[in-house]
Amino acid sequence: MLDINQIQKILPQRYPFLMIDRVLEHEPGKKVVALKNVTVNEEFFSGHFPQKRIMPGVLIIEAMAQAAIVLFYAEDSQDKQIAYYLGAVKVRFLNPVFPGDQLKITVEPVKAISAAAIVNAVVVAGDKEVARGELSFSAKEESK
Amino acid sequence: MQDLENEIRGLIAQIIEKDPVEVTPEAKFFEDLGVDSMMALEIMAAIEKKYKISIPEEKLAQLRTLKDTIAVAQEFMAGKIQENA
Repeated sequence: MLDINQIQKILPQRYPFLMIDRVLEHEPGKKVVALKNVTVNEEFFSGHFPQKRIMPGVLIIEAMAQAAIVLFYAEDSQDKQIAYYLGAVKVRFLNPVFPGDQLKITVEPVKAISAAAIVNAVVVAGDKEVARGELSFSAKEESK
Repeated sequence: MQDLENEIRGLIAQIIEKDPVEVTPEAKFFEDLGVDSMMALEIMAAIEKKYKISIPEEKLAQLRTLKDTIAVAQEFMAGKIQENA
């Protein structure tokens, strides 16, 4: 398990764009199960939508992408500045996400090479499936 | 052979969002069809999934045309048959 302090060492994202609260399962390169608690205080709920609060699908994709970064994080990348570029997203949304939902995001590699990868992602909230799909992204080391 | 060509052409056309008729055997992925490195990886992954084969990373640079892609796919499909024999 990784707590939020460990996650912040891996992910470059910060408030209000850190979409993972905890990592429940962490098998580098094989499988990651991450947790995102959705509260009514999320900034985006004030505009999406004032009358009916629904988590934007793009942010669910962001949570998938952040879980994928954790999936491919290697111990030896600690000292490197790595930029991640999302290349393609093929996602189907199955159920809306409301305040109070706890998202469990599972990502597994479909195909990984040294500088790019395709991952399969499934997001559930309790016993309902929220979204599933595939993300392709590349990683590039940048000089600090 | 014709079937394989049509199947792979269909896979590629879907990934790069082009009409299958544009994906001729000789059309160059990068120059003629606007394929980028991420799409090339997706093509490779789609072929691996469809034919249940595994293509090593160094072959990625060889996927330059439909013809090349079929040749790479056949190379590894042949290897699979031998393993099963």
